[in-house]
Amino acid sequence: MRHLRSSKSSKVFPVDRSNASFIRMQGITKRFGNVTANASVDLDVAKGSIHAIVGENGAGKSTLMRILYGLYKPDSGSISIDGEEKSFKSPQDAIASGIGMVSQHYAIIPELSCIDNLILGAEGSALIDRNTIIERATNLASALGFEFDWYAIAGDMSPSAAQKLEIAKLLWRESNILILDEPTAMLSPEDSAALYTNLRTLADAGRTVIVVTHRLEEVMDYCERVTVMRNGKVVANEETAQTTSKRLAELIVGGELTFERERPAVPGRVSLSLREFSVQGDRGDRAVDINAFELRESEVVGVAGVDGNGQKELIESLIGIRPYLGVAKYYDRELGGLSVAQRLEDGLAIVPEDRQLQGLIGSWSVADNAILGLHRRQPISNGWRMDRSACIAVTEDIVRRFSTKVSSFGAPIASLSGGNQQRFVVARALEGSPKLLIAFQPARGLDIRGSSEVYAEIRRRCSMGMCALIVSFDLDELLEHCDRIVVMFRGKASEPPHGLQSDRHAVGRMMVGLSP
Amino acid sequence: MNELLDLVSATARLGGPLALAAMGGLLSERSGVVNIALEGAMLASACACGMVSAATGSTALGLFAGLVAAVIVCLLHALAVLGFRIDHIVSGIAANAVAFGVTGFAIKVAVQRGAELKFTPLPQIVYIACALILPVVIAFMIQRTVFGLRINAVGNSGSKSAEMGVNPIRVRLVALFGCGLLTGLAGAMLVSQPEHFTANMTAGKGFIALAALILGGWRPIPAMIAAFAFGLFDALQIRLQGTPMLGVEVPSQFWASLPYVITLIALAGFLGKSKPPAALGRE
Repeated sequence: MRHLRSSKSSKVFPVDRSNASFIRMQGITKRFGNVTANASVDLDVAKGSIHAIVGENGAGKSTLMRILYGLYKPDSGSISIDGEEKSFKSPQDAIASGIGMVSQHYAIIPELSCIDNLILGAEGSALIDRNTIIERATNLASALGFEFDWYAIAGDMSPSAAQKLEIAKLLWRESNILILDEPTAMLSPEDSAALYTNLRTLADAGRTVIVVTHRLEEVMDYCERVTVMRNGKVVANEETAQTTSKRLAELIVGGELTFERERPAVPGRVSLSLREFSVQGDRGDRAVDINAFELRESEVVGVAGVDGNGQKELIESLIGIRPYLGVAKYYDRELGGLSVAQRLEDGLAIVPEDRQLQGLIGSWSVADNAILGLHRRQPISNGWRMDRSACIAVTEDIVRRFSTKVSSFGAPIASLSGGNQQRFVVARALEGSPKLLIAFQPARGLDIRGSSEVYAEIRRRCSMGMCALIVSFDLDELLEHCDRIVVMFRGKASEPPHGLQSDRHAVGRMMVGLSP
Repeated sequence: MNELLDLVSATARLGGPLALAAMGGLLSERSGVVNIALEGAMLASACACGMVSAATGSTALGLFAGLVAAVIVCLLHALAVLGFRIDHIVSGIAANAVAFGVTGFAIKVAVQRGAELKFTPLPQIVYIACALILPVVIAFMIQRTVFGLRINAVGNSGSKSAEMGVNPIRVRLVALFGCGLLTGLAGAMLVSQPEHFTANMTAGKGFIALAALILGGWRPIPAMIAAFAFGLFDALQIRLQGTPMLGVEVPSQFWASLPYVITLIALAGFLGKSKPPAALGRE
């Protein structure tokens, strides 16, 4: 346990699984306005285990974890760690009690170096001696087989390296309780498996790991216990060995999931065709380099790949905000000759990567956001005049499609929850019968139900002649919903060989540049 | 030779306040707070330092008053920006307007009452030494101390820093307090040259200091060099006034505008290359 030693203390955590409730949260209630995020929640986590928390969006998982990490103060309820009653006023208190959290978006500051990110908030002495620190940090990292270029700028790291740095940060703080919120959302299957191997090593060394996740396979494969939350309450608490992922899925939504999958229609005319297609990235590199690609009517094609392999640049060039070289035919016209407005008019629809940055204007009302991109169309636009009643009609349509919850059409769109914003953005893209849907993570942040609804609607549209190009970092999602997968690695696009089209491991290997 | 020495000494005297104010701006902006209130803080300090020194006859008391005045302006800016989440530029403009109004009023009343304004300042060399040494100290602080790391962290992302147990508000408050001390020193240096305060005597020097900070890419030593370069141009323009160029009489206004024109050109040329802290003015 040499890597645990620091200037402050040297703790050794003995493995003691007999203590069934190392972390005990009891009767936790938390309200935000008139919404009850947690209603008298109990959570018991055993020492040295990997414990999963699952549930739909808004089920209260993140709130519960934020309470445990001291970011929120519960309205009532108690927390005890190792039998000791705790009251956390801030993350500092939680950190002092050995709790560490990796949030979904990572608390890594991209402009700082890796070493500065590692020590921030737990630097030790007032003067920073980076040589000594790096020596200790390297020891600590090598215990898990991690290697870092400590002086490199953190923003240049791959998602999986950033994830490793996050874990190293927790170890640096001597956290013996590790909370990970959606840790594999941005990782390839290979990297996810490696992450859980590391978490297992840590758990075996006596640390306690809590994982919040959407992915039930991970829960079944790697976790010991699972707590299911629904509508702010705990509905089940089971050993994974005693349950099935089907049962968990039913517990999560509170009933049986019955989504009829429409059979893929026979592909029709070629809608989009790329040849010798390349796009320059922000750093002047060749971010996309595709030899040949075709998308036919009625097809749903998924673009798999680890973040940063050219997906963003591909999408941006197709929607017209980034130039490209080569041939990109949309039906019989060259895309490059069309402005963004013309592309939208000709039936291109977009679900952007970052809904807050590119999809919505947060301070604008729901109704005003509803017509963004549709504002030139009849009857919303009457030449020079906007028809407000037509705007309201369109807004109603968009909100109804995926039952987006809005308080009023005049409320700012930023007041909607993330999941509702996502439903809104997808519904808007599908408004007005588009011919080609270009979607970046259409189910981003959506739970099983929301995600199924979105994909079912895309499928329905495609059976009527639309086609969809879908980028996602969640391979399982793509395998489940797409007719065909294209893997992007360092800008090149390749299809898995015949027979391995829906082989998770083959595609996973291609995502990291290996042969299928 | 004498001429050259004169030029060097003038550069030091004119560049010193800019360098000190730029260091104040550096603390503030590296922590994520846009600070155009440098101008107002300098002006407040110059006024308080000059008038208190003259009234009490104590240089030390005057300097202290100057520091306090500048700290008050910076903390007002901090209150508006951190406490009430007012836009940084708007708050800066307001702070400058308040400083301009209050100091202008104070000097008017003092003149009307026939108060003594002349005072004996600290020797210039003390301030010049500060202007040369403090940037080195600040560079060391940013590079090698926990406080420097935290300033850097909150300047790039306050919310992520908070998740790591660093309180961004507290770090920014301390940074703005430091900014007040440094701009206070800058104002005291400024007023100790004519040895009495005159209304609006900063005349945009706070903004030039900000330009030096940006030119130096928000790094202490380059920002100090940029500040003294502006000092050099200022010294040059004073000497060049009245000198005919190629037989043509050049209006003195042309020379007086030289430092500002250079600033503009330099900013246009360099701005693309120097990268501001990521959270600057956003949180």
